Amino acid sequence: MPVTVHIPGALREFTAGRATVEIAFSNGTVADALTLLWTLYPGVRDRVVNEQGEVRQHINIFVGNENIRYTGGLASPVADGSQISIVPAVSGG
Amino acid sequence: MIGQVLGHCRIVAKIGEGGMGVVYRAYDEVLHRDVAIKVVRKNAGFDTSAGQNLLQEARASSSLAHPNICTIYEVGETEDGLYIVMELVEGKSLHAMSAAGGLPPESVLRYGVQIASALTRAHDRGIVHRDLKTSNIVVSSDGLVKVLDFGLAKRVGGGILDAPTMSFSTVQGASSVSGTLPYMAPEILRGDPADARSDLWALGVVLYELASGHLPFEGRTGFEISSSIMREIPKPLGPPIPPGLWAIIQRSLAKEPVLRYQRASEVQAAIEAVQSGAIVTAAPSTDQATPPRISTMHTVRHAQVKKGDFLLLIGTTKGAFILRSNAQRTRWELGGPYFHGHAVYALAYDARGRRRIWASTSSFWGTLLRSSDDFGKSWTNPQQAPVRFPTDTGLSLKNIWQITLGPQDEPEVLYCGVEPAALFETRDAGETWSLVRGLFDHPHRPRWMPGNGGLALHSIVLDPTNKQRMYIAISSGGVYRTEDAGATWTAQNRGIRALFMPDKYPEFGQCVHKITLHPAHPERLFLQNHWGIYRSDNCAENWTDISNGVPSDFGFPIVMHPHNPDCAYVVPVESEEFRCACDGRLRVYRTRNAGTSWEPLMRGLPQKQAYETVLRDAMTVDSCDPTGIYFGTRSGQLYGSRDEGKSWNKIHDGLPAIVCLRSAIIEDGSVMPIRTSPKQAGAMGSRSRSASHQKSHRPARSSKR
Repeated sequence: MPVTVHIPGALREFTAGRATVEIAFSNGTVADALTLLWTLYPGVRDRVVNEQGEVRQHINIFVGNENIRYTGGLASPVADGSQISIVPAVSGG
Repeated sequence: MIGQVLGHCRIVAKIGEGGMGVVYRAYDEVLHRDVAIKVVRKNAGFDTSAGQNLLQEARASSSLAHPNICTIYEVGETEDGLYIVMELVEGKSLHAMSAAGGLPPESVLRYGVQIASALTRAHDRGIVHRDLKTSNIVVSSDGLVKVLDFGLAKRVGGGILDAPTMSFSTVQGASSVSGTLPYMAPEILRGDPADARSDLWALGVVLYELASGHLPFEGRTGFEISSSIMREIPKPLGPPIPPGLWAIIQRSLAKEPVLRYQRASEVQAAIEAVQSGAIVTAAPSTDQATPPRISTMHTVRHAQVKKGDFLLLIGTTKGAFILRSNAQRTRWELGGPYFHGHAVYALAYDARGRRRIWASTSSFWGTLLRSSDDFGKSWTNPQQAPVRFPTDTGLSLKNIWQITLGPQDEPEVLYCGVEPAALFETRDAGETWSLVRGLFDHPHRPRWMPGNGGLALHSIVLDPTNKQRMYIAISSGGVYRTEDAGATWTAQNRGIRALFMPDKYPEFGQCVHKITLHPAHPERLFLQNHWGIYRSDNCAENWTDISNGVPSDFGFPIVMHPHNPDCAYVVPVESEEFRCACDGRLRVYRTRNAGTSWEPLMRGLPQKQAYETVLRDAMTVDSCDPTGIYFGTRSGQLYGSRDEGKSWNKIHDGLPAIVCLRSAIIEDGSVMPIRTSPKQAGAMGSRSRSASHQKSHRPARSSKR
């Protein structure tokens, strides 16, 4: 089953307007799934990770309902059919 | 009226009463059916021609045979007024049903799709409702939605409508504004004609109200409601509202009609998609040739810039603005905000054979360098961040603090000063940027310390007489100079204090806040330090403290007079801890003798309880004669002086915290630029390229924002 990546509104300019992107993918890591996403939609990459490939400080990535910060970061496993969400953190002023 | 016959209908009972009319239950004695009759009295506020218009509209609407539209059977006139015979709908209005706190999402979707279907039919026939609202929509006992009063609002104003909420109407014929204020689209409030998309806005309001039980735009007065409609973003609706429904509402409530759904059938299809469990995006459909625009619920005004205009480019912590004026600099028009919610710490106007505004934007999503060739109407939004640290540095870009133009005769050269402290340059007008390794590899770099604002390279100063020479300043690292076009750099801080260090006069590590150089006197620089104001007359070999008589030598900006190399301006703040105008008196200090003495400039500036702060790039000068000086405060106030600082006017207030200010006079795109500020007027670089060698390829432009 493909993995579904949920794209926040601010980044849909770079996914041809798509709110979700399905990625043909079987068992790997979040980094693997995101690399495929960057391949499809390269504009998303620099908004989500920095030059060093690290997830930006105020961006959270969830696999299902788990924030990958607490499950191994980009090395967190992604099972078939998972839902990956890219979500800006609630912060600011 | 009870017992009277109108047409072939006998009035049975009174159902309700509105501003201009009474609604009765009646019985059609010919067709043997129950009907409703709305009787509109002649004295209710419209003249004969308006009455005729009402009749015409009602007749047109009577052609709308649709299960979700309350059918109009007949219209007619009596001595007392007009009457409209219509389908009797027995049920509850959506207003009554949602007043107790909103409906379940499935009900919102079920009713929403029926309303959208009704609008689709009407719009296909060229009929716009103009007063769609929850009190005009009734749900019958079997769950069927009926939209009432189609087409009736067009000519007669709000008075005829049964308005439980405030009406905003005039009865002046075709140009009148009709409808009910909380449901009115921004374009109607602006005085533009309503069209089908105005109905779709109202549908968005209805859906929001059904889902939440309250209106998206509220206020105690009509003015407050209007302001909310024009400017505010409704409070987001979270669970249990499905994201797809919220996306539909957001797009329906886009302030600009072009950003909404364009047809009711699109809304209907979107609601049906949510009902079926599919995910709906807030953005327009994906099969368009141009990148779709995201439904961002805000209004961006564009300043109409023309040749000869004077501009102030304003960077704030929440976006950029373009303030336009005529050459007299007396009347101002504000464009923006651009880059909603993104901090804009650096701006530059590039007139070297083009008319380009450069801006750095910083947000959750990273820092980008963007540009506009049409004064903000469209901006580049590059797929890949153009200014980026190479992987081997192990660093990532936090902010771009400074954008500095290269020499006049090298229009493809620009520089960026960034955080963490580093210098980037482009030699192809921004297509590609490279890290200036000569500075990055400096052995001092590991020992530079971040200041309060981070480890920022915030000043880049070119020597217009020597393309090999250039200065940069870092907080906290100090001043560095190159004499070989960036290959090697030396610390140039002799005489500058660093009170926070054990050695008060170290070789480097000073917290320099700003440096500036006069193009006509390029060996002279002025410097505002963390503590101390300094001048150098020998290309930064030595610095002399010149804070003679200022109330505080702590401050951020320092700018030079464009024509007088002995004249500079600072805005002292009280202390390292307080960082606000001394004693609550907002004063600019000017020297006209290269720092031997300073005079306060205060006429027109608040002198009581004005605890303002002017940040390092929030002050600039123009090249007019007499010179104009401008500064913005952290509280969003913008002041200007057209007489070299003698007197000041508040140009604007209410802006977000101002962090950057630049001026420009708009000449022909092909002419050389004015000196927008001394620090932009230099020249630097080792290779000469003419404008004719510019690449024509530009990064993709987005019409967003």
